[in-house]
Amino acid sequence: MNGPLRAGAEALRYWEARQATLSNNLANVSTPGFKGERVFARLLDDASLVAEGSPDLTAGGLSQTERPLDVALAGDGFLVVETERGERWIRGGSFSLDAAGLMVDSAGNPVLGESGPIVLPPGPVEIAPDGVIRVGGADVDRFRLERTGDPGALVREGANHWMPAADATPVALEQALVQQGHLEDSNVDPVGAMVEMIEIQRAYQAVQRTMQTADGVMETITTQIGRVG
Amino acid sequence: MDPALRAAATGMQAQQTRVEVISNNLANVNTTGFKRSRAHFEDLLYQTEQGTQAVDGTDAETTGAIQVGRGTRLAAVQRIDRQGTLEQTGRPLDLAIEGEGYFQVQMPDGGFAYTRDGSFSISDQGVIVTNSGYTVSPGVSVPEDATELTISRTGVVSVASAADGIPVEIGRIELARFTNPPGLRAMGENLFTETPASGEPQTGFAQEGGFGRVLQGSLEGSNVEIVQEMVDMITAMRAYEINSKAVQSAEQMSEIANGLIR
Repeated sequence: MNGPLRAGAEALRYWEARQATLSNNLANVSTPGFKGERVFARLLDDASLVAEGSPDLTAGGLSQTERPLDVALAGDGFLVVETERGERWIRGGSFSLDAAGLMVDSAGNPVLGESGPIVLPPGPVEIAPDGVIRVGGADVDRFRLERTGDPGALVREGANHWMPAADATPVALEQALVQQGHLEDSNVDPVGAMVEMIEIQRAYQAVQRTMQTADGVMETITTQIGRVG
Repeated sequence: MDPALRAAATGMQAQQTRVEVISNNLANVNTTGFKRSRAHFEDLLYQTEQGTQAVDGTDAETTGAIQVGRGTRLAAVQRIDRQGTLEQTGRPLDLAIEGEGYFQVQMPDGGFAYTRDGSFSISDQGVIVTNSGYTVSPGVSVPEDATELTISRTGVVSVASAADGIPVEIGRIELARFTNPPGLRAMGENLFTETPASGEPQTGFAQEGGFGRVLQGSLEGSNVEIVQEMVDMITAMRAYEINSKAVQSAEQMSEIANGLIR
C-alpha cells in the first residue's frame, strides 16, 4: 500500500513547486526584462513524478521611458555585463554613466561592448537598432550581443542576470533589435497566473483527497479483514 | 510552501515601494524643477534543485533542473531627468534652464548645492538668492536703485543705470553640469549635492559647451505626468492584490497538506 501514498507525496511536491514558481513569477510582475518560469511534470521509468522547469522566453512588451540609457532588446539574445563573478547576460536594463563616463547597469556592473567596457564621451547618446552606440553622431562602440544555440539552455542567477548552461556555447547574435529609451516589461501574464493558481489549488486538494482515500482503504484492510462477524 | 509565501511577500513589498515612489511624484506635481523618480526591480537569487537521476529504470535518465526563485527586490530608485514643461510667469527673477545644466547655490557651510528651480529673489543685501535665501553663485549684487533687471539667454545679468537708463552688465550666472546627473543626491528644498556617482561638477555659462539656455520670466515645471502616474498606481495596486492572492493560496495549500492526517 506504499504505492499510492508515495505517488501522492510526489504529486504534492510537484504542485508545491508549481505554486512556488508561480509566486516568484507574480512577485516579478513589474521587474523589467523578467522571464517567467514554467514547470512541467515528468514521469520517469520507475513511475515516479518529478518537476522540471524551463524559462518562458517569449518577449515582454516594450514600455517607452524617455530615458536615453534605458535599453531593451526586442528580439531574442542578451547584452553582456561584467560582474564580480564573471560575465553575465541581461535582457537589457536601465543603464547609467558613472563619473568617468563608464556605462553601468543598475547594480553598477560595467556593460560590455565589442571592445570591452563601454566608455562614452559627454554628449547626447544615440543607440541604433543594431546595437551601435553613437555620441554626437560618431560611432563609439557596439553592444556585445549574444545568445545560446539552444534557446532554453540558460541558468538564472537573480538580479536579472542569466548564464548560458554549462553545456551550452554562447554565439554572437546576428540579428539584433536594440531599442533605446525603452524597457522590456516582465512577460508574466497576471490573468493567466490567477487561473493557474486556481488550477494548482484544486489539483493539490484532489491529490490530498486521493491520499486520504488510499489511507482509508489501508485502514479498512488492517482493521476489518480477518474480523469475524 | 515557504518559498511560495516568501516570494509573494517580496512581491507585495515591491509594489508598496512602487506606490510610495508614485505618491512622492504625485505630491510634487506642482514643484518647480522637480524630476520624477521610478522604482526599478530585479529578481532575487534562485535555488536550483538539481535534476534527479533515475538509475533503477530501464535506462538511466536525467531530468532537467528546476530553478525556484525567491521573489523580487528593489534595485534602484532612479530619477528621470527629462526636461519639465516651461511655464511663463513674467516675473523678472524667475529663471528656467532649457537644456542641460544646474544653477549653483552657495550653502551656509561653504559647499555648493545644485538646483533646476530658478525662482530667485533679491536679499536684503542686494544679492540674488534662492527661495530659501541661499546665494546663487557667483553672487550677483544688484544696486539698490537699479531698475529693469534683465537676464540674457546666456545668463548675463544687466540693469538699467539710475542715471541715464543705459543697461549695465552687473554679473553672469554660472551653471554646472555632471557626467551622471541622476547620481546627484536630492537633499530637499529642490536642491541636489554632488556624489561620487554624479562626478565632479563642470562649470560654465549658458549656451556654451553643451549647456542649455537661461530663460527669464519662466520656470521649469515638474516633469510628473499625472495620467502616467495614475496608470502606474493602478498597475501597482493590481500587482499588490495578485501577490496577496498568492500568499493566500500558499497558505491554503499548507492547510490542505495539514489535513492529510485525519
